[in-house]
Amino acid sequence: MPDLPMKKVGIVSCSGEELPEGTVSRLAALKILEHLRQADTVTICLPLFLAGGEGDRAFARFYPTIAIDGCDKRCAARGTEMYSGKPAAGIIVTELVASQGLGKVEGKRHLNKAGQQAVEATAARITELVDELLHKHWNRTTGTVVDSPLPAAPEPTQASCSCGSGIPVQEVVINGKMVTLIALPLIFQQFHDSDKPVSQELPRALLESVKIYNQVPPGKEDAYAECLAREYAAFLTQQGATK
Amino acid sequence: MTSPTRKMMIVPCSGIGKTYGTVSREAAYTVTEDLRPTQTQLVALALLVLGDDGSRTDIAECPAITIDGCKLACAAKMVQQRGGTVARGFAVLDVYRRYKDFKPSGIAELNDGGQKLARVLAEEVTAVVDGLISGKQGGENA
Repeated sequence: MPDLPMKKVGIVSCSGEELPEGTVSRLAALKILEHLRQADTVTICLPLFLAGGEGDRAFARFYPTIAIDGCDKRCAARGTEMYSGKPAAGIIVTELVASQGLGKVEGKRHLNKAGQQAVEATAARITELVDELLHKHWNRTTGTVVDSPLPAAPEPTQASCSCGSGIPVQEVVINGKMVTLIALPLIFQQFHDSDKPVSQELPRALLESVKIYNQVPPGKEDAYAECLAREYAAFLTQQGATK
Repeated sequence: MTSPTRKMMIVPCSGIGKTYGTVSREAAYTVTEDLRPTQTQLVALALLVLGDDGSRTDIAECPAITIDGCKLACAAKMVQQRGGTVARGFAVLDVYRRYKDFKPSGIAELNDGGQKLARVLAEEVTAVVDGLISGKQGGENA
Protein backbone atom coordinates (compact mmCIF):
# COMPACT_ATOMS: atom_id res chain seq x y z
CA MET A 1 0.00 0.00 0.00
CA PRO A 2 1.47 3.42 -0.84
CA ASP A 3 2.74 5.53 2.00
CA LEU A 4 0.14 8.23 1.57
CA PRO A 5 -1.21 10.45 4.36
CA MET A 6 -3.16 7.59 5.88
CA LYS A 7 -4.05 8.35 9.43
CA LYS A 8 -5.37 11.86 9.57
CA VAL A 9 -8.85 13.06 10.37
CA GLY A 10 -10.44 15.77 8.23
CA ILE A 11 -12.06 18.71 10.02
CA VAL A 12 -14.69 20.68 8.13
CA SER A 13 -16.03 23.71 9.98
CA CYS A 14 -19.10 25.69 8.97
CA SER A 15 -17.15 28.96 9.47
CA GLY A 16 -20.57 30.64 9.59
CA GLU A 17 -19.84 34.33 9.70
CA GLU A 18 -23.46 35.18 10.41
CA LEU A 19 -23.72 33.83 13.94
CA PRO A 20 -21.55 33.58 17.07
CA GLU A 21 -21.77 29.80 17.09
CA GLY A 22 -20.08 29.86 13.68
CA THR A 23 -17.15 31.62 15.31
CA VAL A 24 -17.18 29.00 18.06
CA SER A 25 -17.03 26.19 15.50
CA ARG A 26 -14.20 27.87 13.59
CA LEU A 27 -12.10 28.62 16.69
CA ALA A 28 -12.64 25.14 18.10
CA ALA A 29 -11.56 23.61 14.80
CA LEU A 30 -8.44 25.79 14.76
CA LYS A 31 -7.63 24.78 18.32
CA ILE A 32 -7.55 21.17 17.19
CA LEU A 33 -5.64 21.87 13.98
CA GLU A 34 -3.03 24.14 15.52
CA HIS A 35 -2.59 22.77 19.02
CA LEU A 36 -4.50 19.77 20.33
CA ARG A 37 -4.17 17.33 17.43
CA GLN A 38 -1.90 19.13 14.99
CA ALA A 39 -0.24 16.03 13.57
CA ASP A 40 -3.47 14.08 13.21
CA THR A 41 -5.80 16.51 11.51
CA VAL A 42 -6.21 18.45 8.29
CA THR A 43 -8.87 20.85 7.12
CA ILE A 44 -10.46 22.17 3.99
CA CYS A 45 -12.59 25.25 3.36
CA LEU A 46 -16.17 24.19 2.72
CA PRO A 47 -16.57 26.24 -0.51
CA LEU A 48 -13.62 24.39 -2.04
CA PHE A 49 -15.82 21.35 -2.58
CA LEU A 50 -17.48 23.38 -5.32
CA ALA A 51 -14.82 25.88 -6.33
CA GLY A 52 -11.90 23.47 -6.17
CA GLY A 53 -10.96 20.49 -8.26
CA GLU A 54 -11.48 16.76 -8.16
CA GLY A 55 -8.86 16.36 -5.46
CA ASP A 56 -10.70 18.74 -3.16
CA ARG A 57 -13.96 16.89 -3.72
CA ALA A 58 -12.24 13.63 -2.76
CA PHE A 59 -11.46 15.03 0.69
CA ALA A 60 -14.14 13.23 2.74
CA ARG A 61 -13.51 9.92 1.02
CA PHE A 62 -9.80 10.23 1.64
CA TYR A 63 -10.07 11.30 5.28
CA PRO A 64 -12.66 10.27 7.87
CA THR A 65 -14.18 13.67 8.43
CA ILE A 66 -15.75 15.46 11.39
CA ALA A 67 -18.21 18.21 10.48
CA ILE A 68 -18.38 21.09 12.98
CA ASP A 69 -21.58 23.08 12.60
CA GLY A 70 -22.63 26.24 14.37
CA CYS A 71 -26.35 25.68 13.99
CA ASP A 72 -28.92 23.14 12.93
CA LYS A 73 -28.70 24.19 9.29
CA ARG A 74 -25.67 21.88 9.35
CA CYS A 75 -23.95 23.49 6.36
CA ALA A 76 -20.67 21.68 7.01
CA ALA A 77 -22.21 18.23 7.39
CA ARG A 78 -24.66 18.62 4.52
CA GLY A 79 -22.16 20.30 2.22
CA THR A 80 -19.53 17.67 2.88
CA GLU A 81 -21.96 14.85 2.23
CA MET A 82 -23.42 16.52 -0.85
CA TYR A 83 -20.14 17.29 -2.58
CA SER A 84 -17.49 15.02 -1.12
CA GLY A 85 -18.54 12.15 1.13
CA LYS A 86 -20.53 11.41 4.26
CA PRO A 87 -18.80 12.76 7.38
CA ALA A 88 -17.75 10.09 9.85
CA ALA A 89 -19.01 12.25 12.73
CA GLY A 90 -20.55 15.63 13.42
CA ILE A 91 -21.01 18.24 16.14
CA ILE A 92 -23.64 20.98 16.32
CA VAL A 93 -22.46 23.78 18.61
CA THR A 94 -25.93 25.03 19.59
CA GLU A 95 -26.84 21.54 20.80
CA LEU A 96 -23.57 21.12 22.66
CA VAL A 97 -24.01 24.50 24.36
CA ALA A 98 -27.56 23.62 25.39
CA SER A 99 -26.61 20.19 26.69
CA GLN A 100 -23.85 21.64 28.86
CA GLY A 101 -25.87 24.65 30.02
CA LEU A 102 -23.21 27.13 28.96
CA GLY A 103 -25.44 30.16 28.58
CA LYS A 104 -26.05 32.45 25.62
CA VAL A 105 -23.17 32.67 23.18
CA GLU A 106 -22.65 36.21 21.88
CA GLY A 107 -20.12 38.16 19.83
CA LYS A 108 -19.29 37.12 16.29
CA ARG A 109 -15.90 38.86 16.35
CA HIS A 110 -15.17 38.71 20.05
CA LEU A 111 -16.88 35.91 21.93
CA ASN A 112 -18.30 36.46 25.41
CA LYS A 113 -17.44 34.13 28.28
CA ALA A 114 -20.09 31.58 27.33
CA GLY A 115 -18.70 31.61 23.80
CA GLN A 116 -15.17 30.98 25.02
CA GLN A 117 -16.44 28.12 27.19
CA ALA A 118 -18.24 26.77 24.15
CA VAL A 119 -14.96 26.79 22.19
CA GLU A 120 -13.32 24.72 24.93
CA ALA A 121 -16.24 22.29 25.14
CA THR A 122 -16.44 21.89 21.37
CA ALA A 123 -12.69 21.38 21.06
CA ALA A 124 -12.81 18.75 23.80
CA ARG A 125 -15.54 16.87 21.96
CA ILE A 126 -13.68 17.09 18.65
CA THR A 127 -10.57 15.71 20.34
CA GLU A 128 -12.53 12.69 21.57
CA LEU A 129 -13.91 12.10 18.09
CA VAL A 130 -10.48 12.46 16.44
CA ASP A 131 -9.00 9.91 18.83
CA GLU A 132 -11.87 7.52 18.21
CA LEU A 133 -11.55 7.81 14.44
CA LEU A 134 -7.79 7.36 14.46
CA HIS A 135 -8.30 3.90 15.90
CA LYS A 136 -10.78 2.84 13.29
CA HIS A 137 -10.07 1.51 9.83
CA TRP A 138 -11.19 3.96 7.14
CA ASN A 139 -11.98 2.55 3.70
CA ARG A 140 -11.14 5.20 1.09
CA THR A 141 -12.89 3.42 -1.72
CA THR A 142 -16.25 3.50 0.00
CA GLY A 143 -15.61 6.44 2.32
CA THR A 144 -16.80 4.53 5.38
CA VAL A 145 -15.52 3.14 8.64
CA VAL A 146 -15.02 -0.62 8.53
CA ASP A 147 -15.03 -2.88 11.57
CA SER A 148 -11.48 -4.16 11.66
CA PRO A 149 -9.30 -1.97 13.92
CA LEU A 150 -6.18 -0.33 12.55
CA PRO A 151 -3.51 0.91 14.95
CA ALA A 152 -2.85 4.60 14.40
CA ALA A 153 0.67 5.88 13.84
CA PRO A 154 0.41 9.64 13.40
CA GLU A 155 3.01 11.25 11.21
CA PRO A 156 4.50 14.56 12.30
CA THR A 157 3.65 17.46 10.04
CA GLN A 158 3.09 21.19 10.18
CA ALA A 159 0.44 21.26 7.49
CA SER A 160 -3.04 21.88 8.70
CA CYS A 161 -4.80 23.34 5.71
CA SER A 162 -5.71 21.57 2.52
CA CYS A 163 -6.50 24.70 0.50
CA GLY A 164 -5.07 24.47 -2.96
CA SER A 165 -3.31 21.21 -2.29
CA GLY A 166 -6.26 18.80 -2.12
CA ILE A 167 -5.60 15.18 -2.93
CA PRO A 168 -3.42 14.90 -6.06
CA VAL A 169 -5.28 13.46 -9.01
CA GLN A 170 -4.36 12.56 -12.57
CA GLU A 171 -6.50 12.27 -15.66
CA VAL A 172 -5.86 9.27 -17.86
CA VAL A 173 -7.52 7.83 -20.96
CA ILE A 174 -8.92 4.32 -20.55
CA ASN A 175 -10.70 2.73 -23.50
CA GLY A 176 -10.96 6.15 -25.12
CA LYS A 177 -12.61 7.69 -22.08
CA MET A 178 -11.09 10.31 -19.76
CA VAL A 179 -10.94 9.04 -16.16
CA THR A 180 -9.75 10.96 -13.09
CA LEU A 181 -7.76 8.79 -10.70
CA ILE A 182 -7.37 9.99 -7.12
CA ALA A 183 -3.86 9.86 -5.63
CA LEU A 184 -2.24 8.46 -8.80
CA PRO A 185 0.71 10.93 -8.75
CA LEU A 186 1.47 9.89 -5.17
CA ILE A 187 1.24 6.21 -6.04
CA PHE A 188 3.65 6.65 -8.95
CA GLN A 189 6.02 8.61 -6.77
CA GLN A 190 5.88 5.95 -4.07
CA PHE A 191 6.59 3.16 -6.56
CA HIS A 192 9.44 5.17 -8.00
CA ASP A 193 10.92 5.95 -4.57
CA SER A 194 10.80 2.30 -3.51
CA ASP A 195 12.66 1.25 -6.68
CA LYS A 196 9.99 -1.21 -7.75
CA PRO A 197 11.37 -3.05 -10.78
CA VAL A 198 9.51 -2.77 -14.07
CA SER A 199 8.17 -6.29 -14.43
CA GLN A 200 5.14 -8.23 -15.61
CA GLU A 201 3.69 -7.92 -12.12
CA LEU A 202 3.98 -4.14 -11.99
CA PRO A 203 0.68 -3.26 -13.75
CA ARG A 204 -1.26 -5.43 -11.29
CA ALA A 205 0.59 -3.96 -8.32
CA LEU A 206 -0.25 -0.45 -9.56
CA LEU A 207 -3.85 -1.48 -10.07
CA GLU A 208 -4.16 -2.81 -6.53
CA SER A 209 -2.90 0.50 -5.14
CA VAL A 210 -5.19 2.52 -7.39
CA LYS A 211 -8.18 0.44 -6.26
CA ILE A 212 -7.63 1.56 -2.67
CA TYR A 213 -8.66 5.09 -3.60
CA ASN A 214 -10.78 4.64 -6.72
CA GLN A 215 -13.68 2.57 -7.94
CA VAL A 216 -12.60 0.32 -10.81
CA PRO A 217 -15.64 -0.83 -12.78
CA PRO A 218 -16.15 -4.61 -12.99
CA GLY A 219 -14.58 -6.08 -16.11
CA LYS A 220 -12.33 -3.07 -16.66
CA GLU A 221 -9.35 -4.19 -14.58
CA ASP A 222 -7.21 -5.26 -17.53
CA ALA A 223 -7.80 -1.96 -19.31
CA TYR A 224 -6.94 -0.03 -16.13
CA ALA A 225 -3.77 -2.10 -15.58
CA GLU A 226 -2.66 -1.55 -19.17
CA CYS A 227 -3.26 2.18 -18.87
CA LEU A 228 -1.42 2.36 -15.54
CA ALA A 229 1.62 0.61 -17.01
CA ARG A 230 1.64 3.09 -19.90
CA GLU A 231 1.24 6.12 -17.64
CA TYR A 232 3.89 4.85 -15.22
CA ALA A 233 6.34 4.45 -18.10
CA ALA A 234 5.64 8.05 -19.08
CA PHE A 235 6.13 9.08 -15.45
CA LEU A 236 9.51 7.32 -15.34
CA THR A 237 10.57 8.98 -18.58
CA GLN A 238 9.62 12.34 -17.13
CA GLN A 239 11.52 11.62 -13.92
CA GLY A 240 14.59 10.71 -15.98
CA ALA A 241 14.26 13.90 -17.99
CA THR A 242 14.15 16.06 -14.89
CA LYS A 243 17.18 14.43 -13.21
CA MET B 1 -27.33 52.85 -11.73
CA THR B 2 -27.69 51.08 -8.42
CA SER B 3 -30.67 51.96 -6.30
CA PRO B 4 -29.73 53.52 -2.95
CA THR B 5 -32.26 51.28 -1.19
CA ARG B 6 -30.54 48.09 -2.30
CA LYS B 7 -27.90 46.68 -0.05
CA MET B 8 -24.51 45.53 -1.21
CA MET B 9 -23.74 41.94 -0.36
CA ILE B 10 -20.29 41.46 1.18
CA VAL B 11 -19.01 37.92 0.70
CA PRO B 12 -15.74 36.95 2.41
CA CYS B 13 -14.01 33.75 1.43
CA SER B 14 -14.66 31.71 4.60
CA GLY B 15 -11.06 30.54 4.57
CA ILE B 16 -10.31 28.69 7.77
CA GLY B 17 -6.74 27.49 7.47
CA LYS B 18 -4.83 30.56 6.39
CA THR B 19 -4.17 34.06 7.67
CA TYR B 20 -5.51 35.74 4.54
CA GLY B 21 -8.87 34.06 5.10
CA THR B 22 -9.03 35.60 8.54
CA VAL B 23 -8.12 39.01 7.08
CA SER B 24 -10.93 38.70 4.56
CA ARG B 25 -13.44 37.83 7.27
CA GLU B 26 -12.29 40.63 9.57
CA ALA B 27 -12.50 43.16 6.73
CA ALA B 28 -16.02 41.99 5.92
CA TYR B 29 -17.05 42.41 9.57
CA THR B 30 -15.52 45.88 9.64
CA VAL B 31 -17.52 46.97 6.60
CA THR B 32 -20.83 45.39 7.59
CA GLU B 33 -20.74 46.17 11.32
CA ASP B 34 -18.67 49.35 11.65
CA LEU B 35 -18.30 51.32 8.43
CA ARG B 36 -21.49 50.75 6.38
CA PRO B 37 -23.89 48.71 8.54
CA THR B 38 -27.04 49.97 6.86
CA GLN B 39 -25.83 49.76 3.26
CA THR B 40 -24.21 46.34 3.37
CA GLN B 41 -24.98 42.81 4.43
CA LEU B 42 -22.66 39.92 5.19
CA VAL B 43 -23.31 36.69 3.31
CA ALA B 44 -21.91 33.46 4.74
CA LEU B 45 -20.36 31.54 1.90
CA ALA B 46 -21.28 28.18 3.44
CA LEU B 47 -24.95 29.06 3.05
CA LEU B 48 -24.43 29.84 -0.62
CA VAL B 49 -22.63 26.53 -1.09
CA LEU B 50 -25.66 24.76 0.32
CA GLY B 51 -28.05 26.74 -1.87
CA ASP B 52 -29.82 28.45 1.05
CA ASP B 53 -32.88 30.21 -0.37
CA GLY B 54 -32.39 33.48 1.51
CA SER B 55 -28.75 33.80 0.54
CA ARG B 56 -29.44 32.93 -3.09
CA THR B 57 -32.20 35.52 -3.26
CA ASP B 58 -29.96 38.17 -1.71
CA ILE B 59 -27.18 37.38 -4.15
CA ALA B 60 -29.53 37.32 -7.12
CA GLU B 61 -31.13 40.66 -6.28
CA CYS B 62 -28.17 42.69 -5.02
CA PRO B 63 -24.66 43.24 -6.33
CA ALA B 64 -21.93 41.45 -4.41
CA ILE B 65 -18.46 42.52 -3.39
CA THR B 66 -16.30 39.47 -2.80
CA ILE B 67 -13.17 39.28 -0.67
CA ASP B 68 -10.97 36.28 -1.38
CA GLY B 69 -8.09 35.08 0.74
CA CYS B 70 -6.33 32.97 -1.87
CA LYS B 71 -5.99 32.54 -5.61
CA LEU B 72 -8.70 29.89 -5.70
CA ALA B 73 -11.19 32.75 -5.32
CA CYS B 74 -13.94 30.63 -3.77
CA ALA B 75 -16.10 33.63 -2.91
CA ALA B 76 -16.09 35.12 -6.41
CA LYS B 77 -16.60 31.73 -8.06
CA MET B 78 -19.41 30.77 -5.73
CA VAL B 79 -21.33 34.02 -6.21
CA GLN B 80 -21.11 33.58 -9.98
CA GLN B 81 -22.06 29.90 -9.81
CA ARG B 82 -25.12 30.81 -7.77
CA GLY B 83 -26.31 33.35 -10.30
CA GLY B 84 -25.06 36.51 -8.63
CA THR B 85 -23.13 39.45 -9.98
CA VAL B 86 -19.68 40.25 -8.64
CA ALA B 87 -19.67 44.04 -8.74
CA ARG B 88 -16.10 44.01 -7.52
CA GLY B 89 -13.79 41.23 -6.42
CA PHE B 90 -11.00 41.89 -3.93
CA ALA B 91 -8.02 39.63 -3.25
CA VAL B 92 -6.34 40.07 0.12
CA LEU B 93 -2.94 39.34 -1.39
CA ASP B 94 -3.29 42.19 -3.88
CA VAL B 95 -4.06 44.60 -1.07
CA TYR B 96 -1.12 43.30 0.95
CA ARG B 97 1.17 43.97 -2.03
CA ARG B 98 0.20 47.62 -1.73
CA TYR B 99 0.60 47.70 2.05
CA LYS B 100 3.72 45.64 2.68
CA ASP B 101 4.17 47.20 6.12
CA PHE B 102 1.04 45.40 7.30
CA LYS B 103 2.30 41.82 7.34
CA PRO B 104 -0.46 39.59 8.67
CA SER B 105 0.02 36.53 10.82
CA GLY B 106 -2.22 34.42 13.04
CA ILE B 107 -5.38 32.61 12.08
CA ALA B 108 -7.51 32.36 15.20
CA GLU B 109 -6.31 35.83 16.18
CA LEU B 110 -4.72 38.33 13.83
CA ASN B 111 -1.60 40.23 14.77
CA ASP B 112 -1.46 44.01 14.60
CA GLY B 113 -0.34 43.95 10.96
CA GLY B 114 -3.25 41.72 10.06
CA GLN B 115 -5.71 44.01 11.84
CA LYS B 116 -4.33 47.02 9.97
CA LEU B 117 -4.44 45.18 6.66
CA ALA B 118 -8.05 44.22 7.31
CA ARG B 119 -8.84 47.84 8.09
CA VAL B 120 -7.35 49.27 4.89
CA LEU B 121 -9.04 46.51 2.90
CA ALA B 122 -12.34 47.37 4.57
CA GLU B 123 -11.84 51.02 3.65
CA GLU B 124 -11.24 50.08 0.01
CA VAL B 125 -14.38 47.95 0.03
CA THR B 126 -16.29 50.84 1.60
CA ALA B 127 -15.14 53.17 -1.15
CA VAL B 128 -16.50 50.75 -3.73
CA VAL B 129 -19.78 50.45 -1.81
CA ASP B 130 -20.14 54.22 -1.78
CA GLY B 131 -19.28 54.42 -5.47
CA LEU B 132 -21.82 51.78 -6.41
CA ILE B 133 -24.53 53.38 -4.33
CA SER B 134 -23.91 56.79 -5.85
CA GLY B 135 -23.77 55.21 -9.30
CA LYS B 136 -20.23 56.33 -9.99
CA GLN B 137 -18.65 52.93 -10.00
CA GLY B 138 -19.68 49.51 -11.06
CA GLY B 139 -19.38 46.27 -12.81
CA GLU B 140 -15.74 45.43 -12.69
CA ASN B 141 -13.79 42.60 -11.15
CA ALA B 142 -10.43 43.27 -9.58
